[in-house]
Amino acid sequence: MLLTRRSLALGAASTALLARPALAANEPLKIGWLAALTGASSAPGIGFNRGVVFAANSINAAGGVKGRQIEIVTRDTQGDPTKAVNATQEMISQLKVDAIWGPTNSGESLATTSIMARGKMPNLHPCVVDSLIDPKKYPNAFRIAPSNGQWDDAVRGYTLKVLKAKKVAVVGDTTGYGVTAAKASVEAFKKDGADVAYTANIDATQPDMTPDMLRARDAGAEAIVVWSVSTGMIARMLNTRATMGWDVPFVGHPSLAAGDIAGLITSPKNWEKVYAVGYKSCSFDAAGKLPERSAEFVKSLAGKVELSDTLLWWVAAGFDAVTMVAKAVESTGDTSSAAIIGYWNSLSPYPGKFGDYSFSATQHNGYPTSEVVMSAANSAKTGAFALAPGYS
Amino acid sequence: MLQSILASGLAVGAVYALIAITYNTMFATSRVMSFTAGQLGMLGGVLGSMFMLRLGLPLVLGLPATLLCCAVIGVVTEFVAVRPVLKSLDQHLYVLSTLAFALLIQQVTAIEWSTEPQPFPKLFGLGSGVLDEKYWLPVVTCAVVIGGLEFLYRRTLVGRAFLAVAEDNFAARALGLPERNLRVASYALAAVVGGLAGFSGGELLLAFFANGPQLNFYGFIPVALGGLGNNRGAVIGGLGLGLFQQAANFTVGGIFASVAVFALFIILLLVAPQGLFGTSTARRV
Repeated sequence: MLLTRRSLALGAASTALLARPALAANEPLKIGWLAALTGASSAPGIGFNRGVVFAANSINAAGGVKGRQIEIVTRDTQGDPTKAVNATQEMISQLKVDAIWGPTNSGESLATTSIMARGKMPNLHPCVVDSLIDPKKYPNAFRIAPSNGQWDDAVRGYTLKVLKAKKVAVVGDTTGYGVTAAKASVEAFKKDGADVAYTANIDATQPDMTPDMLRARDAGAEAIVVWSVSTGMIARMLNTRATMGWDVPFVGHPSLAAGDIAGLITSPKNWEKVYAVGYKSCSFDAAGKLPERSAEFVKSLAGKVELSDTLLWWVAAGFDAVTMVAKAVESTGDTSSAAIIGYWNSLSPYPGKFGDYSFSATQHNGYPTSEVVMSAANSAKTGAFALAPGYS
Repeated sequence: MLQSILASGLAVGAVYALIAITYNTMFATSRVMSFTAGQLGMLGGVLGSMFMLRLGLPLVLGLPATLLCCAVIGVVTEFVAVRPVLKSLDQHLYVLSTLAFALLIQQVTAIEWSTEPQPFPKLFGLGSGVLDEKYWLPVVTCAVVIGGLEFLYRRTLVGRAFLAVAEDNFAARALGLPERNLRVASYALAAVVGGLAGFSGGELLLAFFANGPQLNFYGFIPVALGGLGNNRGAVIGGLGLGLFQQAANFTVGGIFASVAVFALFIILLLVAPQGLFGTSTARRV
């Protein structure tokens, strides 16, 4: 039999094609995890990581995804955009991961989103900056947590409709986030016809908050809306409120409920009438119970994942991210970028532990606004909070 | 409002003054502006909180332990970041070496301690409102430090040796003074002063790793205003800076207060480049 070069090439190509599924079936499903596990803002990263590890272990213990084990490829970005960019490039070009979860803070995500879009890398993240999601520019990027706009809506709705404040003070810190979030909040309050009596961006290291608190009181503020991740600044404001004998409510950023505040306030009473952004799925009702799905999830975590020093939603979102990649591969039988992205675009809704996510080709903000609620900031218990007064 | 401006202004001003004295003490024997000064202030707060709140030591043990650790950091600074670059002072390599060491201290603190502000214990539980101890403790500490340094420099042999090295280290060495040991001792002393700044201001500034750069900047301004090496000028400059900063906070608000502080600083340096209390020296050309 005459063996031509053409038939040899065809034979080799078909052998390679036939051999590939067999090889792929044994290959692990690689999920890149851009985690800020050390350095500033590492607390969320540690919480997310617990959910990620728990999800991967659970799926692998049950036999994996169609026989393929999940391999979590973690890189500690330390919250540094430069490190996040380097890790992203490594994951795309060298490690050849199938999807990426993270980064988990907006500063890093702003730096990595366009790189992932160029690499057509399926990406899930929980970062709040609104501009990070744009299905036209970044068709690969999906948000599985609220955007800042959704937080803002919840805060504004609670301030105006439940607290019925007519005059508000809006305060941010002097970071890029604090300035943009406070500005957006002021505009939204004004659009809703509210009177923004006082607005300020405060240096978070300022040792005395009396000047701004006095100005807010003199302006007649009936609620103080806070957009800052600085627990030091928040605690100083709460202590100043107590010293002034002023019982104005504080409403705003989830950091109002950060555990560090407990050690920084001069009295536990200073933390009352403080309402932070929270989530229905991670909130206790008046009877002290979590929603059924969350209660089951917490039960499954018992003895395996520590919740006392983290937030339930971080663990739940980390769990959801891994399972959403696994489900995409399981449903499509394909690890290609187009298949995973196509599957996520078809979700309506996907019942996650943190919430019911819905995506389409034109909407990649998957978290339902109705799930964003206000929590009593001082009510933390096993990573969850009590609903703020006014919710049924 | 005036009471609040005076209370918080004098308190932060006293902390700035103590950091300025830290700069001056290190500069006197080495001619090096060591940018670890602010980090020593930060460590005073962090170590104080660690010894007293985390480890549960009483004040009588917590304070000496904090100051001892700061002194060790001061000595290490001299060995690691200052001594190797002394031969090329004119190239100002110390800026790089001390800044790098300061950054190292800050990062290690962030990793080992916390990246969030942590509470600092109430030391005596005295006073309330504008008379709360958090406002007057730094002022009292500043006064005690100034008194102690005056006593050291004017009444003790070691203090006079410090002054001799500061005045002319070649002549001091020629007279047989152990210039190198005195320099190491001055770095330990400066570190104790820096530690006291952070410890006495801990209730106000909290135990926070990011306090270092802030204290570096605001502690440098009194040095420039008061004249390099002039401790009295540093105290007046520090207290003035604190009062001006707090007055600006009350009148124009946080962001503009910083702008006001630096605008005033630039104007004063344009008017008196040698500092308000410094003296210009002649240089043979």
